[in-house]
This record gives sequence, structure tokens and C-alpha cells, in this order.
Amino acid sequence: MFASVEPYLFLTPAFAILLVFLIFPLFWNIYISLHDVSLVTIIKGWRYVGWENFLDLIEDSNFHTSLKVTLLFVAGSVALQFGAGLLISTLLNQKVRASGVLRAVFIIPWTISAVIAAFSFKFILDYNFGILNYLFDKIGLQPVNWLSDPNMVIWSIVIANMWYGTPFTMLFLTAGIFSINPTIYEAAIIDGATKIKSFFYITLPLLKPFIVINLILITMWSVNFFDLQLVMTGGGPLFASTTASLYMYRQAFEFGLLSKGAAAGLILVAINLVVTFNYIKLLRR
Amino acid sequence: MWKKKITFNNSAVINNIWFFTERALIYGLIAIFLFITLFPLLWVFSTSFKPNEEAINFPPKFLPEKITFSNYVFVLTDPNLVRSLINSFVVSVGSTALSVVVSALGGYAFARFEFKGKNLIMSIILGLFMIPVVINIIPLYNMLSNIGMLNSPISLILAFQILIIPLNILLFKNYFETIPKELEEAALIDGCSRLDVLKRITIPLSIPGFAIAAVLSFRFSWNEFILPIVLANRPDSAVFQVALYQFISIYRIQWGYLTAGITLAIIPVLVLMLSFQKQMIKGLTIGAIRE
Repeated sequence: MFASVEPYLFLTPAFAILLVFLIFPLFWNIYISLHDVSLVTIIKGWRYVGWENFLDLIEDSNFHTSLKVTLLFVAGSVALQFGAGLLISTLLNQKVRASGVLRAVFIIPWTISAVIAAFSFKFILDYNFGILNYLFDKIGLQPVNWLSDPNMVIWSIVIANMWYGTPFTMLFLTAGIFSINPTIYEAAIIDGATKIKSFFYITLPLLKPFIVINLILITMWSVNFFDLQLVMTGGGPLFASTTASLYMYRQAFEFGLLSKGAAAGLILVAINLVVTFNYIKLLRR
Repeated sequence: MWKKKITFNNSAVINNIWFFTERALIYGLIAIFLFITLFPLLWVFSTSFKPNEEAINFPPKFLPEKITFSNYVFVLTDPNLVRSLINSFVVSVGSTALSVVVSALGGYAFARFEFKGKNLIMSIILGLFMIPVVINIIPLYNMLSNIGMLNSPISLILAFQILIIPLNILLFKNYFETIPKELEEAALIDGCSRLDVLKRITIPLSIPGFAIAAVLSFRFSWNEFILPIVLANRPDSAVFQVALYQFISIYRIQWGYLTAGITLAIIPVLVLMLSFQKQMIKGLTIGAIRE
């Protein structure tokens, strides 16, 4: 009799923590978004306001900016991280010497915290003292306002995010490449296929499940990730580097408007669902 | 006969040229990526040994003119940073221990038992992995402030679990499945209880799995920034990442201090990850392939 409840007992602690800290807050977020809560009124009675917070968002031009910035940030980050990750993992699989050591070195950016990645890049991209502008000067280019030019800033952060996020894609696709049976390539060589051909006709199709899962993960992470923006620019100048996730944080903890932030968080959930749904459709095909 | 041999030689030469350009291209690209990967960190590392004035000197020199440890002395005597280092160790070790115990139990249930709703529960856990944790910062802040648990290491330890548990359960499930069931069954028949079996057979055999899970958990806890900056940002309860962020906003362009702080923050995780990197890749590979 006891044996039948045993597995559930083993699972209880994990589920209890996830329930309280992950699942319940999701619903609590909906509750907050329908009331008027700010950091000032947090302990007083909350007024029910219905859709007001959402209407507020829809009319907020800063929110429109943040959606546009999100699109640029996600598209740029995913394209660069995926491209570089696929290239490095493929290169390292070409019977390269010391590939184990190289793989370990390439993983280093992934092992450090986003705060550190952000700050290192802030240091390198500094307008006056940064080494990048120094190099630009050396080769006769104008110094660039990497972090304070509203049109440039999001791309500077995309570059930092590429540096920080590529190792994960590399690791994940390497796992995929390892799972391909090497005799397939030997057969292809006997049949006269070049390396490039076998990459496009063997590696890519066999990697497809790994590629799709990888794309889902890095897209979602880029949508929700704002550590870099917060540390490098705080979302500025104005809202030029405020992605939707950072917009949510700033509304709640910079301007104190918890319920407006909560409403933005729900829109973020919706974006996540749309992304996942579309990728899964892609995977099924 | 002759003609055939000559053509063979020619194509061998062409093949050789091809081979060398291909190799050069591969190693060249790898070198470029290696440079991009390492340069920012080496630059920060080298700056941390320069006096503050030299750090903003133009033109910048890659190697410090005179090496100084004063930046490290300054950082390691800053009371806020020192306290935050201790906080970080307490929170990271606590959250690693909790997540390893809780996830090992969960992973064990999936690896060894057949029960109603097993697949459903597994897909719920994988689904939870897809929920972005940042969406929870506002309700979590609200909940914890209502019960007066903001700025508490216990709140952080518990909140960090949502980052780690789903991944660790999957890891443990896959690891336990590599241990033959028969060993356990034999012990059960000999009269051991389930817990005895766990203690005497399963756990000792899966120490490498525990190591991978612990290193991953420590990395997540040590590096997490958003949850602690929302839930524990008072100077006396801040963890290192948060204190470093606050430190940065105080000492704006004192690059010497800042780069020394960064270097200190990198070391614990880097040492851990590099010493376990083989097992890490293997662990992640098992996880990814089985999925």
C-alpha cells in the first residue's frame, strides 16, 4: 500500500517549492495587474481597477518603444548567437587539435554572471576611456557613442549579449553533433560529397531537433533577459535600450508602479507563448 | 600506365593545397573567436592590476606599467563588499544543498517508480522550466514584503530553487537511470528499506551526478542578479552581484577598483566550472540526448 504513494512523497518537496515560488506568483501577478498597487500603497487596501493598467500600457509610447527595442534585441541576439554558436561547434568538430581544451575556453563567458559581462563591455565601450574607441581612433575612424547614442545603444548590447550567450548554443549544438553517427560522414565521403555538401545535407537535417530546441530557448531568454541592459545603460538613454522585460522592471521598481509592471509582465507571458507556439509548429513540420 | 600516374599525382597536389587552405581557414576562424572570447576578460584582468590613474590613461597599455595589488586591497576591505561575499557564499551553498536534495528525491521518483500521471508530471516540470522567472519578480516581491521576508537569505535560497529544480530533476532522472535497477532490487530482497538502498547503494554510485548538479546549482545561485536585486537589495543583505552593481554606481570611473571586484567575482565559479568541465559537457549531453 505504502509503495503506491512513495513516488509522490519523493516528489512533494520539489513540487511544494515550485508551487509557492513559481506557480502561485503567476496567478498573483494577474491579481496585481487588475488592481492599483504602487510601492507607496503596497500595504494599504488595493483598489480594483479592471483593465485600466492594460489601457495605460497600450497608450504609453514608451511601451511601444520597448516593444520595438525588444524586436531588434531578440532578432539580433538570436541571429548572432545561433550563427556564431553553429559555426564554432562545427569548426571544433573538424578534427581540430586540443578541441577539448578549446571547448572549455569557449565556455568561459557562460560561466560568469551577466553583471560581470555587462560591466566588462561597459568598460570596453566607454566613450572616453574605452579601448574600442581608442582602436577606432588609431585606424582613423570617428569615436562612436556606443552606449549613449539612441540608435546605436541596443546594438552595442546585442554584441555584449552575443559574447555572453553564444557559449550555450555552442555547447548545445556540440551535444547534437556528438549524437550523429560518424559513419554517415564516411559513407558520404566515399560517395564523393564535399565537406560543405555534407554539412548542408547531413549535419543540418540531423541537427534539426537540437536546432529548434536551441532556438526556442535562446529566443525566450532574449525576450526575458534584461540583466545586461540594466547594468550597462539602465535602459537609457530614455527608453532606447529598454526591452519589454526591462520596461516591466523599471515600471515596478524605478517608478514604483507595481500594477503597471505586472500588466507588462502578462504581455511578456503572451509574447513567450506566441514564440513557443510558433517554434513548436515549426518543429512538427 | 604513365599517363594515369601523372594525373594521380596532380590531383594529389591539388588535394593537398585544398587540405591546407581548409585547415588554415578552420584554425584562422577559431583563432578569431578565441580572441573575441578572451579579450574582454584579459583586458579586465590586466586593468585590475593598474592604479586607478593608469587605468584611464591614454593611450591604454595592455600590460600594467607597474603592477599594484592596491585595488584588491581596497575591494577586500570595503565592508559592504566583504559582507556581500559572505552573504553570497551562505545563499549559494544553502541553495545548492537544498536543490540537490530536493531534486535528487524527485529525479529518483521518475527513474525508479511507475506511477499514475508520471508522464504528465514530467511534462509539467519541463513546462515549468519554460516559464521565465523574471515574470515572477513583481508578485514575489509583493508576497515576500507582505510577510516581512524581504532581505532574508532564506527567501533567496527558496526563490533560487525555481531557477534550478526543473533542470536538476531531469539531470538526476537521467543519471539514476544509468545505474542498474537490479543492484537495488537485490538489496530490497535482502531486506533493506528504500532509504537504506538510497544511502548505501544509489547515492554512492551516483556521486558524479551529484557533483554535476551541485556545480550547476552553485553557478546559477552565485551568478543570479535579478532576483536578489529585487528581493534583497539592502546593503547588509545584498549578495555579491548586487553589491558589485551598487559599488559600480558609487565608484563610477574608478576602473581599477571595479575590475578588481569583477576578477574576484569570476574566480569561484570559473575554478569550479573548469575543474568539472568534462563531467559538465557529459552531463549536459546526456540530458540533451535523452530529452
